Amino acid sequence: MKTEAKTPRQYWATSVLGLVIGIVYQVGFALGGRPLDGAIALSIMVAFSVVIALAGRRSETVRGLLDRRDERITGIDLKATAIAALAMCVAVLIGFVVEVAQGHTGSPYVIIGVVGGLSYSAAVVYFRIRT
Amino acid sequence: MRNDVRERRTAKGLAQGELARELDVSRQTINSIETGRYTPSLPLAFAIARFFGVAIEEIFHED
Repeated sequence: MKTEAKTPRQYWATSVLGLVIGIVYQVGFALGGRPLDGAIALSIMVAFSVVIALAGRRSETVRGLLDRRDERITGIDLKATAIAALAMCVAVLIGFVVEVAQGHTGSPYVIIGVVGGLSYSAAVVYFRIRT
Repeated sequence: MRNDVRERRTAKGLAQGELARELDVSRQTINSIETGRYTPSLPLAFAIARFFGVAIEEIFHED
């Protein structure tokens, strides 16, 4: 049986987003009077974008993460994101406790924690209504 | 959950990659389904059954 490839998807979206973020970094550093650091940040993001673009051509997993057509890889991405979020929560909690123990206000960990907590709550409500 | 995807695929003379392209998933996913490491969603299970021209329960079986 002959099979034909489906219409190719746009693998470059993540790479373009990486470049845009790099430019935003550079602008931010430049406004802060550190253009060299901005150039380094931009270079890192350019390298990231190139690596992602190349890996997307060679790796089925990376391609699946980029185009999100494969339900199994999308599920893997969701689980990995949840684990990463859990790790960030632990880091934020530890950072907050250390800051408070040193007599500080706990910033910026308080803000990060509030944003994360509110986002999670809003997402639960949204998906509770939608599904 | 057991399934007969590998048997039906090989009976049609298809490689995993060819079936993956037909179903718009990765070859890894076909392999995971065949080895029982991944249970497909209902839409994908329907697509698999439709591709082989049988009902879902003829391909996927409860343990």
